[in-house]
Amino acid sequence: MFVRRLLYLLREAVANVLTNRTTTVVAVATTAFTFACVGVFLLLYVNLRAMASSLEQDIEVMVYLQDDLTEQMRREIEQQLKADRAVGSLTFVSKERALADFQTQFPSESHLLQGLGQNPLPASFVITFAVESRSSEAMQRWATRAQSISGVTQVQYNQEWVEALAGMVRYIEVAAIIVGVILSAASVTIIANTIRLALYSRREEIEILGLIGASTTFIRVPYLLEGAALGLLGSALSLVILKAGFELFRHEIRSASRFLGVDALLTFFPLDMCLVLVCVGLFLGCAGSFLSLLRFGEGRV
Amino acid sequence: MVWPLTPVRPLPLSPSMIQLFHVSKYYDRRVALSDVTLEIEKGEFVLLMGPSGAGKSTLLKLLIGAERPEEGQILIQGRSLSKLRSSEIPLLRRKVGVVLQDFRLLPKKTVFDNVSLPLLVQGASTAEIRRKVAEALRAVGLDHKKDHVPSGLSTGEQQRICIARAIVNGPIMLLADEPTGNLDPELTSEIIDLFKSINARGTTIIVATHDPNVLAQVSRRVITLDQGRVVSQEQVCS
Ligand SMILES: Nc1ncnc2c1ncn2[C@@H]1O[C@H](COP(=O)(O)OP(=O)(O)O)[C@@H](O)[C@H]1O
Ligand SMILES: [Mg+2]
Repeated sequence: MFVRRLLYLLREAVANVLTNRTTTVVAVATTAFTFACVGVFLLLYVNLRAMASSLEQDIEVMVYLQDDLTEQMRREIEQQLKADRAVGSLTFVSKERALADFQTQFPSESHLLQGLGQNPLPASFVITFAVESRSSEAMQRWATRAQSISGVTQVQYNQEWVEALAGMVRYIEVAAIIVGVILSAASVTIIANTIRLALYSRREEIEILGLIGASTTFIRVPYLLEGAALGLLGSALSLVILKAGFELFRHEIRSASRFLGVDALLTFFPLDMCLVLVCVGLFLGCAGSFLSLLRFGEGRV
Repeated sequence: MVWPLTPVRPLPLSPSMIQLFHVSKYYDRRVALSDVTLEIEKGEFVLLMGPSGAGKSTLLKLLIGAERPEEGQILIQGRSLSKLRSSEIPLLRRKVGVVLQDFRLLPKKTVFDNVSLPLLVQGASTAEIRRKVAEALRAVGLDHKKDHVPSGLSTGEQQRICIARAIVNGPIMLLADEPTGNLDPELTSEIIDLFKSINARGTTIIVATHDPNVLAQVSRRVITLDQGRVVSQEQVCS
């Protein structure tokens, strides 16, 4: 009778939690806190990455052309650029158009150009990249390639910006991984200790179960369930803490007018990621109680 | 693996319930059992006597696989315990009832729940559990106490509940370690009578004790241990 045994095991797990109420609460709280620390880094990472990709989206690359190109040559260059899979969109800006743009953007400086007699601004193609080619390395490679096309004088884009942001995202990623690993180990230890207390307080019962022919699995399951529940509760609670902190932060930013509009860019974890985090908590909880079971039984329980 | 309830081979060749061949057990370097060879037949009622520290408890623990011998062979119904995988030990224990010295009841569970535990762990159905627990409690004369918790019972009653738990599964043998250790002579004879009636139904019984009151009441085979050695095996007749 599988159901009856399962019910028994569930009841045992609940009883475990209830008898060690204080240690359970402490374990859930500390686990929640450690998970929340990892969560802060993850949030930072998720937001910066979102920001980075939205900035990368706006990045335009200017391909400047020689002044003496024939219409035929310009067409060829355009065909060549369009054929490139990395290129998302392409706009031609003629010399005249460039001048007009300059004059509308910088009306007070327009006399500088007039003094030169003829239009000094080159014609160009303005290019945005296809989504899959928006990384800074891909852009750099593309720029070098475009530079070698005959008729192209210069390829320009806001390289520093892209690279700085990409670098920052990478650092945060590494930091999130390191902090995540360390604090996960910490929460596994915390849960392992709680389970060890539970095992110790019920060692007589465990011995009895073994002597009357309970299988190892039967004896272990309530403690694995307890560990899983601790991990699950801890991670769920950490998400609640993080969400509260996040909303507070967003509220602060919104009321500080200097960052106008930034608050709209901030995002919390999407729902599927929340689920993944809770599952990770559950898994770490199981791992913690498994460790304790191994150490407690030395193979016997 | 299915632990056979009945001997595998026909009677003349059928293996004894328990056979020990030159069994030794050490804790660190201290000898607990030394070169023990003995045989116990199906249906026997054996007393294991000897002073404290003689190795009686150790012998019982070896029989249920709670300890493993350093030397020698132990066969239960012809099957070697040393060849059992650790996953098979629970299956052996489901066929052996134990009333150990420090083998207490679960204090927060009712008498019914305590006695039903051996059935529960092997997945018996609700109906089977009800029937067998009622039977076992009737055998020890405590079916009216099934909803009590152990703390509400006397010592003698608690010991009888332990015995009910040991026999609920219909074991091939029953091992009891100092079952009368903290009982007065009157309760002692009650418990011994209970063992006799269980034995009368065919269950092999081994009782380890240093209590002379028990010896006085059981006119069966007595195996005496001292410092880990079998010093005498005799058939006591009264
Ligand atoms: N778990 C153990 N660890 C170390 N020594 C033990 C252990 N169990 C028993 N012993 C030793 O083994 C010997 C036999 O003990 P035991 O079988 O309990 O004797 P009895 O039950 O006849 O009193 C004793 O010397 C005892 O100290
Ligand atoms: Mg003893």
